[in-house]
Amino acid sequence: MLPIRLSKDSREPIYHQIEKQLKALIAGGHLPAGTPLPSIRALSKDLEISVITIRRAYQDLESQGFIETLHGKGTFVKEVQNAMKQETMTASVRAEFERAIQNAMDYDYTVDEIKEVFAETLNRLGKGE
Amino acid sequence: MPSWIEIKDISKRIDDFQLGPVSLSIEPGTITALVGNNGSGKSTLLKILMNLANADSGEIRVLDKPVAGEDESWKRHVTFQPQNAIGWNAYTGEALKRLIAPLYSKWDDRLFERMIKLFEIPLNQRYGKMSPGMQQKLSLSLALPRNTDILILDEPTASLDIPSKNLFTELLVEWMEQEDRAIIITTHQADDLRKLADYLFLMRNGKAAGHYEKDELATSYRRYWLSAMPAEMLPGELSRSGNELISADSDATEQYLLDQGIETIDDKSLELEEIISLLLK
Repeated sequence: MLPIRLSKDSREPIYHQIEKQLKALIAGGHLPAGTPLPSIRALSKDLEISVITIRRAYQDLESQGFIETLHGKGTFVKEVQNAMKQETMTASVRAEFERAIQNAMDYDYTVDEIKEVFAETLNRLGKGE
Repeated sequence: MPSWIEIKDISKRIDDFQLGPVSLSIEPGTITALVGNNGSGKSTLLKILMNLANADSGEIRVLDKPVAGEDESWKRHVTFQPQNAIGWNAYTGEALKRLIAPLYSKWDDRLFERMIKLFEIPLNQRYGKMSPGMQQKLSLSLALPRNTDILILDEPTASLDIPSKNLFTELLVEWMEQEDRAIIITTHQADDLRKLADYLFLMRNGKAAGHYEKDELATSYRRYWLSAMPAEMLPGELSRSGNELISADSDATEQYLLDQGIETIDDKSLELEEIISLLLK
């Protein structure tokens, strides 16, 4: 089973969440080229989402060159160019930071307070805690 | 893609109960769940679909053939598992298999044997002597291996224990993947809806109460906790209590809240069962 975690409370469309997480798994090297992906129906069951939504995510990933469907064989991870991997990683990391900063701003944190939390967290994680 | 089942304006009166008019079409590659309270007309609709009962008006076409016509060749492409199999009681599982298997050109004996083993079904026992759960397991083992284009299951999991239910889900997913196929399933089990259904067709008192793509339905409903509840009715509003609001059209509600400058303290999606309960109320 793929380590995909959907947030049904999130405003981000479900197909977009699936796309983003699959891209991250591919760009991060967790799903190397040639890895078979679950069928649309099987993923639909695992994630408890209709095949219509899964198909949409797969079609988007296919048109962006991350996966390919071989007729009668299934869907596989494609060889992704390093440049694209880098781009995906950068976009994914930026999106996470944006989300965290937005969250802090929603709680009326000041810029200095946000910086402080950032430095503190970085310091803590950097020590391998 | 043309639809495989086309139900058009079907209605039927049985004593005080009025079914329909109901319309519904089923496309290949999809699983549609018929959901409704007891006595909402689901089983009657399925009987009319299988030409086991006549409609007062309307038409049903299966694979482009009218089901009430002379030509019944469409029946070889459809498996129907009713809630109660009539006339099976005196037969053992083994005898039923010998009767059913030859009728279907794509019968898969390996799948049958596998299901018998997985569900631990005693094939030498008479159907009438089996527990309700075992009867359901045997019915399913006699249904899936027929490999017809269309599979219609009337409450197939009502008597199954949890491991058998999970096994049934796995088998159905595997069955759907073989080629283009379509399933109609009536169920009260939330798990069946979550794991199997692509579309929900809701029925209430004989009438259609909506036909939804599952994920669209799940995202359109939302619960809000507002800083202040306006006196007037909000766009999409379904119900309110104190500062808590349930909306059936989250986009419209949020646009309104934004325009009015009303702050949302928190908001959350609804569980599928909760949405269904609201729709069937």
